[in-house]
Amino acid sequence: MRFDQVHFRYARRLPWTLQAVDAEVAPGRTIVVLGRNGAGKSTLLQLAAGVLRPSRGAVRDRPAVVGWVPERFPADQPFTTQQYLTAMSALRGLRGTTEVDRWIERLGLAEHRHTRLSALSKGTAQKVGLAQALLRPPGLLVLDEPWEGLDAHARTLIPEIVTEVTAAGGAVLVSDHRGEIAGLPDAIRWRVADATLSTHAAVTESVGDPSDDVVIEIAVRRADAERAVARLSADGHRILGVREEQPR
Amino acid sequence: MTSLVRMRLGGFVRSGRILAPLIAGMVVLGVIHGGGKSAAAPAYGYSAVMFFPVFAWLTKLLLDAEPDVQRRLARVAVGPAREAAAGALAAAAVGSVFCLVAIVAPLPLGAIRGPEPGEPSMAAGIGLGVLAHLLSLAAGVGLGALASRAVTRSVRAGITVLVTGAVLGVVLGLQGSIAPWLVPPLMATARALAAVPLPPAGDLWLLSGWTILWCTAVFTAYAWLRRSRS
Repeated sequence: MRFDQVHFRYARRLPWTLQAVDAEVAPGRTIVVLGRNGAGKSTLLQLAAGVLRPSRGAVRDRPAVVGWVPERFPADQPFTTQQYLTAMSALRGLRGTTEVDRWIERLGLAEHRHTRLSALSKGTAQKVGLAQALLRPPGLLVLDEPWEGLDAHARTLIPEIVTEVTAAGGAVLVSDHRGEIAGLPDAIRWRVADATLSTHAAVTESVGDPSDDVVIEIAVRRADAERAVARLSADGHRILGVREEQPR
Repeated sequence: MTSLVRMRLGGFVRSGRILAPLIAGMVVLGVIHGGGKSAAAPAYGYSAVMFFPVFAWLTKLLLDAEPDVQRRLARVAVGPAREAAAGALAAAAVGSVFCLVAIVAPLPLGAIRGPEPGEPSMAAGIGLGVLAHLLSLAAGVGLGALASRAVTRSVRAGITVLVTGAVLGVVLGLQGSIAPWLVPPLMATARALAAVPLPPAGDLWLLSGWTILWCTAVFTAYAWLRRSRS
């Protein structure tokens, strides 16, 4: 799939959110989209998924099956988890509940099977959002800040799922402003800033032997933490963790 | 696409949003048929006019019941064209049930009297009533779709489109209107159904054709606007 001179703005009188985006997403690859809040990461992902239509230019050769996990799952719907996923699998042309049951089990949603979506916690609702995107093996999986609100166990599932999708020949586009991508192997990095996308900085995961790396501990002001993590990971450094400063 | 129609109908009914137009529909039936007996064709003709805003409103409510992000998820799952069509179809399905009730309910309640000399037969009157309601439904769904949040984006704009469209539908349909072609011919159809004897069949074909043309224009506008507004 490729972006062909894609321009996008939300309304005619507004400035461009994205300009002249030219990029290619190869099958089997994982692309991490970095950038500050409001830089246009979500917009880029929604253009990729086909949720938004470019104001100019085009997104070509989009795979037939696209899975999109929105940043916030729309939980304000009068369905239970099971009803919702069954309906979504019917939209995907699937019959029966085999896939629904599989993903309910795998994502640990079994005890919430008959809970209304509006009564789910944020993290659990996010898992329902993840499940609906995977009911049919996607040729393109678009994950918008998928770690948001997930517990430690579910966080480890994301790299696992990403690996499965890419192994099956699918491409994965994931946005991340917290630098959680350390767990994603072989990821290409894109960066959105000032309404433009840079792929030339495409720093792949450091190829060198990890035993050759050194660990630097740095302290960052709380308010700057997100930005620092994003900038460091954009430079190709691995983020090993973020923690509170220990009292001496 | 049927699965998306079914999902949207489910959401509309389960969330209880169907109640308001349901009550409005019953009020309309009470007002139209509560005042005594009338011949079938004119009674149904004016019932169809009164149901036009109800159909438009229920369409807007049904389309707006779904959160924006869920509508986008549906778009990703089934494609933009089918996503846009499924909402209108779901509204048409609910509206058809309303039509059925609007035609059948007055009969056992004794609001429809048999034909007098010169008037169309009971069966013809009911047939014309069904036609008038279906034309009103198609136009109402069109107006409601244009007023939906996906198109108008804001609550105020949505309500403005809905109310203006519903009022103009009646006002511009009055006899001697300056621009009757701007709105679907609901009032003209009602007048034709109330005439004794009935106007020639050609007139009814003309009115149907006019409605279809109007709906084609409105749904084309809806489809075009929805292409860029997800």
